[in-house]
Amino acid sequence: MSFLEVRDLCLDVGGFELSRIELKAEKGDYLTLIGPTGSGKSLFLETIIGFYRPEKGRIILEEKDITDLPPDKRQISIVYQDHMLFPHMDVFENIAYALRKKLRDKKQIEAEVKQIAGVLGIDELLHRKPATLSGGEKQRVALARSLIVRPKLLLLDEPFSALDARTREKLRDTLKKAISEYSTTVLHVTHDFEDVWALANRVVVIRKGEVMQAGDPESVFKRPSPDFVAEFLGTNVLKGKVKAFEGKLTVIEAEGLKIYSSDPAKPGEEVVVSIRPEEIILSRGTVESSARNTVKGKVLGIFKKEHLVVVEVKMGNAEIKAVITPTSCEMLGLEPGRETYAVFKASNARIIR
Amino acid sequence: MRFLKTPGILKSQSFKHSWFRNLTIGIAFIFTFLLFSSIGILLFVLKPSEILSALFSEEMLYSMKLSMLTSSASTLSVICCSIPTAYALSRYSFPGKSLIKSILGLPMAFPELVMGLALLLLFGHGFLGPYLEALGIKVTFTKLGIVVAQFFVAFPYAVRVIYSTFEDINPRYEQVSRSFGYGEFETFRYVTLPMARSGLFASSVITFARCIGAFGAVLILAGGSYMHTEVLPVTLYLNISYGNLEMAITSGILLMGIAFLAIFSFERFEGGRL
Ligand SMILES: Nc1ncnc2c1ncn2[C@@H]1O[C@H](COP(=O)(O)OP(=O)(O)O)[C@@H](O)[C@H]1O
Ligand SMILES: [Mg+2]
Repeated sequence: MSFLEVRDLCLDVGGFELSRIELKAEKGDYLTLIGPTGSGKSLFLETIIGFYRPEKGRIILEEKDITDLPPDKRQISIVYQDHMLFPHMDVFENIAYALRKKLRDKKQIEAEVKQIAGVLGIDELLHRKPATLSGGEKQRVALARSLIVRPKLLLLDEPFSALDARTREKLRDTLKKAISEYSTTVLHVTHDFEDVWALANRVVVIRKGEVMQAGDPESVFKRPSPDFVAEFLGTNVLKGKVKAFEGKLTVIEAEGLKIYSSDPAKPGEEVVVSIRPEEIILSRGTVESSARNTVKGKVLGIFKKEHLVVVEVKMGNAEIKAVITPTSCEMLGLEPGRETYAVFKASNARIIR
Repeated sequence: MRFLKTPGILKSQSFKHSWFRNLTIGIAFIFTFLLFSSIGILLFVLKPSEILSALFSEEMLYSMKLSMLTSSASTLSVICCSIPTAYALSRYSFPGKSLIKSILGLPMAFPELVMGLALLLLFGHGFLGPYLEALGIKVTFTKLGIVVAQFFVAFPYAVRVIYSTFEDINPRYEQVSRSFGYGEFETFRYVTLPMARSGLFASSVITFARCIGAFGAVLILAGGSYMHTEVLPVTLYLNISYGNLEMAITSGILLMGIAFLAIFSFERFEGGRL
């Protein structure tokens, strides 16, 4: 039996329902849940933690059926996008509050708080009120508060969504460190596929209250289920090695292609490059443009997706998807077997690790 | 009451002011001025010496003391009862919830006098009266009756203010607290109540003001008898009917002063939200 098992979970909140959700996670797994806004990801997390009671189905954690337990008996913690730090307590109090039900001894509580503050880099903030903190600092505190109780399961509901890219990246590193230190199993809802690459070993795709697909990140990103159209899915993922640093650009050799990226990386480093299908332009010949990447390939297939067209192109050893309008598809005269050029900017070839 | 600030774009940008604009502004000024001057007149009719002698008369001192005592008692009980009521209405769904909501809305619309009459019938000889009397409790025409009347006048308002305070607190705060092992009551005690602090303070102030100013229901249920169930509004009423203007006006000034203090601290603490 798995560490966490969700079986046939159904929840109706009037106007929206989760239907027959199945999910498994092993101890130490890091699961990311992705799916469009309003697909029921938050509802799902809040059902697992016990704020909603499912109509049907079972939730089993560590061989124990917790479906009918109140939230205070489940040992599951949650971090929300808007942190939910108690405004009337300072940072220390917020973190200590979580621990008070487990520990009575004041000295011990203080020691534990100090320790986690060290791990998350918030030592200096312990006596500030949440209102005086920056977004990133608030999330660190919220993470500390949730982790300090060493929950069986940590739920993260888009914890980084409100932060800027740089803060997000830093926080991701800190989170990684803290998770391994406190060896927690995590369910992380996110919109950002970089979270998936950087943190997760498994991905679950949810749409309209149903699980569409589950698996390891690579397989889900490379072969998104055919009826799934979320914009962040089906991004092109190329594995490669950094060859050089030319001017301000990183040169990567990936799957038989030479790709320029404006993200910095060290030569020799193994990296993953992501190029979003909508950021690729297809053309008949090589064109003069400021975009640094022009790659020749062969059209494999053409699919209509809602009002757009997805073109699959074989380039080197990689299959790359591009999204274009039906009009430009017609003008280019694309059909399987034809040669075409994919053009994209160096800034759109994102390096993820 | 909330006066929303008009965004700059919506303000008339023409230089020549329209007659409609002038009309609305004119009406705003005229009636606010009338209201203001009627309050002002209250202060200037009497000589200070007359006010002072009325203020320290035996009857006024009695009435002031009784008003403070009864209003404090009823404010305390109103707050104690409206916190759980408002919390239940805000957080739980249960059968009869919308019924409770509409019944609590009623007293805002119907006259206090009718409320007094209804209470008189309820606590009188017909229904609860005999049972309560068997327990040694007499409500009608007693000081307890004042508290009861004030309670029912102020309760719906207090529930409303506290309800909106609870509505403004994201239930996720409570859920986070639950996830750390705290029960429902502990969470309420350590998270919800402290977060509702300023709303609770504001509603206490408003409740106190409503209790001290309650007249119709108090008069009918407690009788309004001289130096027995005489609170400040009753003093005003009794002395008007005797033609004793000094006493009437002085109690009016006292009631006004209390109302101003209440509104002032309410605005300070709740930022004028109601
Ligand atoms: N308590 C509730 N009652 C009724 N509908 C709800 C409730 N909570 C969420 N919903 C609805 O359920 C849907 C899914 O919401 P949510 O789980 O927040 O989506 P996501 O987190 O994936 O963006 C939304 O359409 C939302 O309006
Ligand atoms: Mg959500």
